[in-house]
Amino acid sequence: MIVVENLNTYYGHIHAVKGISFEVRQGEITALIGANGAGKSTTLKTICGLLHPREGSIALGGAPIHKLSADKVVGLGVGYVPEGRRVFPVLTVDENLDMGAYHRSDQAQVTKDKARMYETFPALKGREKQLAGSLSGGEQQMLAIARALMAKPKVLLMDEPSLGLAPLLVKRVFEIIAELNKQGMTILLSEQNARGALKIAHHGIVMETGKIRFADSAAALRANSVVQHAYLGAG
Amino acid sequence: MDSMNILSIFIQTLVGGIGIGSLYALVALGYSMIYRSMGLVNFAHGSIYMIGTYFGIIWYRGMVMGLQVPYPIAFVIGVLLNAILGLILERIFRPLANLDLMLMLLGTIGLGYVLDNLAVIIWGAEGFAVNSPLPNEPIVIGGVALLPQMLLLITGSALLMVGLNVFLAKAKIGKAMRAAAQDRETASAMGIPVNTTNALVFAIGAGLAAAAGILAAPIVYVNPAMSAAVGLKGFAAFILGGAGSIPGAIVGGLVFGILEAISAGFISSAYTKGIAFVVMILVLMVKPAGIVGEVTVDKV
Repeated sequence: MIVVENLNTYYGHIHAVKGISFEVRQGEITALIGANGAGKSTTLKTICGLLHPREGSIALGGAPIHKLSADKVVGLGVGYVPEGRRVFPVLTVDENLDMGAYHRSDQAQVTKDKARMYETFPALKGREKQLAGSLSGGEQQMLAIARALMAKPKVLLMDEPSLGLAPLLVKRVFEIIAELNKQGMTILLSEQNARGALKIAHHGIVMETGKIRFADSAAALRANSVVQHAYLGAG
Repeated sequence: MDSMNILSIFIQTLVGGIGIGSLYALVALGYSMIYRSMGLVNFAHGSIYMIGTYFGIIWYRGMVMGLQVPYPIAFVIGVLLNAILGLILERIFRPLANLDLMLMLLGTIGLGYVLDNLAVIIWGAEGFAVNSPLPNEPIVIGGVALLPQMLLLITGSALLMVGLNVFLAKAKIGKAMRAAAQDRETASAMGIPVNTTNALVFAIGAGLAAAAGILAAPIVYVNPAMSAAVGLKGFAAFILGGAGSIPGAIVGGLVFGILEAISAGFISSAYTKGIAFVVMILVLMVKPAGIVGEVTVDKV
């Protein structure tokens, strides 16, 4: 679905992503794990068009997308759940969902999809007219996911969806991601919570200081002693 | 002077203040919307207001190839021309947005001077009074005498402000403009073309300023120097109401206009500006965020 080749991205003067190549396969969850500053967020931002690579290429279903601006990339089917949720705080829940569907023109279907989102995410139900900034962290995360789904993406990029949430909510977020995948959604998930991410993912990519350290099936990574030691907290 | 008379003079003064306040409010809205969306304090906005006034009034006064155009049509032409000017200026200002404050200040002030001097070169520094398209005899309601043009200024401004709020609340692109003002990067990742929404903000700001200027022209004197006078008061209203707040700009403009009218009417017109600015400073000392405490927008 997404093929990344020799990607080099600078964040200001910092060479944040240093020549990485990987693939996100259709119907799978690919987990991008690594410490803070490893280049995971930069990779996601480059794929969705918020940053542009200095070198390398990104293809979506065979077509290059790395020169397009973010507002064009979403129209091609790349949904994005930003790190820190980034809901529009002074827009209502309902308006946030509308913004997720901005590139769509099938208004009747958008209304139906919104109704479906309120079913899928009961935490948002009854809060349609509430300002998104007044929601709790967990509710904002649900809204950020629902907003990205409103774009009808073919692939969903999720940046640290479990970050800053209470343990029970972390579990719930991973369940939701697994559930979305079961319904057929292709997902690229960036997570510092390697344990949770590798539990639901098919493939894993371990990043360190802008480079790929390991790339393998999630099961193999869970069994890898280096990964266990550095990322899964095994003694 | 009996008490009835004082009351009617007071109401007359108040209505005058609301009229001039509506003018300040419409100008303040331009400052506010641009500041919200681009983080840019546009010190050229007073000049944009002045140019917009000329863009409408030159048609009404038959200054373009001797064509005498009816007031409502001149109004529409002026607003549209100024909106186009806004689109062009947004392209010029785009690199300045989110830059160092000093660069922004210099860039916008410089552009303001260019516009002011262009106006002097094209239309002269002299200026002129403009005849109202409505009767000049005041309408007397219960002992209160009101100029028809003043009532037109107030109702016209009110309609524009209501229209703007409905547009921002209901229209898809209006919601997108609010989203982009709150979080530019995320808006763009949601598919919102942020450069387009910013250009639209500039066009609307310039259009509102032109509308204000053309509605007020028969009451105030039209000359290139009006850019500094009204630009400064619109800016003060923008700060007074709460920088970046839409209701704040409206409240700030009205409060400023009413203060000015009352101090001119009941104290002395010599102190008008001074009193209004002193009140502004006092309000800001008590409430630094302005009268309307806007919901905080986290710019991540």
